[in-house]
Amino acid sequence: MRFITDSEPAPADALALDNTADVLTQADALQAHHAVLLNFPKWTDGRAYSQAVLLRARLKFKGDIVATGDVMVDMLPLLQRCGFSAVQLRADQNIESARRALGFFAHFYQTVPPERGTTAGAAA
Amino acid sequence: MYRYTDFDRQFVRARAAQYRDQLMRHLSGELGGEDFRPLRLQNGWYVQRHAPMLRVAVPYGELSSRQLRQLARIAREHDLQDAGLATERGGFGHFTTRQNLQFNWIPLPRSADVMELLADVDMHGIQTSGNCIRNITTDALAGIAPDEEVDPRPYCEILRQWSTLHPEFAFLPRKFKLAVTGAREDRAATDWHDIGLKLRRNAAGEVGFRVAVGGGMGRTPVIASVFSEFVPWQQILVYIEAIVRVYNLHGRRDNMYKARIKILVKAEGQRFVDDVNREFAALVADPSTTFVPQAELDRVAAGFAVPVQPAVDSPKASSEPLPAYERWLQRNVHAHRLAGYRAVTLSLKRAGLPPGDVTAEQMDRAAELADRYSACELRVTHDQNLLLPWVREADLRALWLAAREEGFATPNIGLLTDMIACPGGDLCALANARSIPIAAAITERFDDLDELHDIGDIDLHISGCINSCGHHHSGHIGILGVDKDGSEWYQVTVAGSDGSTISGDSAPGKVIGPSFAADEVPDVIDAVIQTYLRERGPGERFIDTSRRLGPAPFRKAADAVRRSTAAAS
Repeated sequence: MRFITDSEPAPADALALDNTADVLTQADALQAHHAVLLNFPKWTDGRAYSQAVLLRARLKFKGDIVATGDVMVDMLPLLQRCGFSAVQLRADQNIESARRALGFFAHFYQTVPPERGTTAGAAA
Repeated sequence: MYRYTDFDRQFVRARAAQYRDQLMRHLSGELGGEDFRPLRLQNGWYVQRHAPMLRVAVPYGELSSRQLRQLARIAREHDLQDAGLATERGGFGHFTTRQNLQFNWIPLPRSADVMELLADVDMHGIQTSGNCIRNITTDALAGIAPDEEVDPRPYCEILRQWSTLHPEFAFLPRKFKLAVTGAREDRAATDWHDIGLKLRRNAAGEVGFRVAVGGGMGRTPVIASVFSEFVPWQQILVYIEAIVRVYNLHGRRDNMYKARIKILVKAEGQRFVDDVNREFAALVADPSTTFVPQAELDRVAAGFAVPVQPAVDSPKASSEPLPAYERWLQRNVHAHRLAGYRAVTLSLKRAGLPPGDVTAEQMDRAAELADRYSACELRVTHDQNLLLPWVREADLRALWLAAREEGFATPNIGLLTDMIACPGGDLCALANARSIPIAAAITERFDDLDELHDIGDIDLHISGCINSCGHHHSGHIGILGVDKDGSEWYQVTVAGSDGSTISGDSAPGKVIGPSFAADEVPDVIDAVIQTYLRERGPGERFIDTSRRLGPAPFRKAADAVRRSTAAAS
């Protein structure tokens, strides 16, 4: 998981999608972009997790998927597993807490589509 | 019971550590109250009227005596406060319709310690609140009911594991509840759930699920619609993944009262079904999608092996017939699929304590009964009682005497005083009105066992607000607390059904007129019952009579006992 900061900004040619966008209709647009920005207008609005899953698993998008908007450190384990590769944390978030947030769980019960066919995720 | 593996244990420990980190960040000021709220909710921590409420998950209602003793310890050592009335000092738990246990008085700074105490006995509060997939519920007689086609517990455990910390579905538009049953009788009110699953065998003998979607209570009571008559068990997680993904993307988030999946199913109709089927087909076509392997089902099912030996002894003939014992046998003892065994309900509906409440002391006593008579296992029932699933017929008399000693033997299961009630305004910050005094007044009014038995089978459900935790919609008699001008009022319904055989097809009850004042409610219930007793045909239960007659005669009888509301109108 890459942290977007002032020194490491988001990719310039990224395609920004609202969390109401049907990502499955974006296949053509994705050809022209190396990155997609998915927005969390509120951190508890979980639509972009499913958008990322569909981008990775259904459209086989290999570029960066960046979480933007109201992004808290506690979302990091979820974002990572749903296929996000980079994150622009909300300004008040603490980078040390972010690193800890990624370290609590070594394994999970289930796989989500971006993890399938890889060794990540499942316990059993 | 399912036995936790090292993986399960590490997982719950990791969750407790993660929660402690979040709590510390909150207490240090790094994590603000509003941002901390959804995080604590997903670990079962509400902030209620007096203190945080902790809802502990009891997955599909199965509880060991060891776990119950630990819950007693938590009640005794942590669910406490020093000030307030005698009823506000804590030290007790409350079993809910979703087979969970709630504490009401644990101070938030102690919450991380309590999570670790729970983890010591393989318990937690994961996903007992919040807009996520909640604890899976099932039939309290799962694995022991004679009318069971398929034991739902291994499937419940597989669903528990799949839904636990599912990263894509942690922040849905609204809460999401699953119930599973594998018997002919639906004892889990599956029609009233976001997803109701009924296990069945097809003509070839293969196991699958009938899947119904979009049931729910609240402001808009809706009965779930059948999406599929048969999803093979191997594919069920993928089918549910498709349903929840479509819901996550399209469910309403602009209005919390319209955010449940039931609203989407109603608004979109066939289009929603088509979206789900399209998503399911895409997943099935994806070579990386895996289905539940037989070996995994077998591994999980091994945890649910029968914990008792076949009974060879016959019941001891009782020395003299005891009417009280006979009555208990009739109401609190249930048939079992194993010869020589019975299931026994420990009634948590008795005068002096709110429905479903148990003190720390009583938890210890119930754990002892489970050790002595039920292979160390208990169940939490949807009706807020405890159940001993493995009782030898030969032990019934001794168990009755012991249960009576501890106040667990009220012979009222399925009767008027075996009511469902939420904690209501005494404890809950959401409630419009109190439930506990209403429940107590009705319990007091109907304390004559002969009368109760004459009234017969009846579901009385009480909710302190429209959130419907007390399932008032599905009660044969439903009582709903409403708030008018800052005071407590109660709306009464008749002829609701939870979908059980005696209740008939699931349906919300019908209102019998404007709300009543709190002190009128016992008289209103009495008037409704007297109307039934007068009008019932031979063999007719309350639900049958109330369906046949409709609400009108009940309304008339209830209006006749209005006092303050008559004066006000």
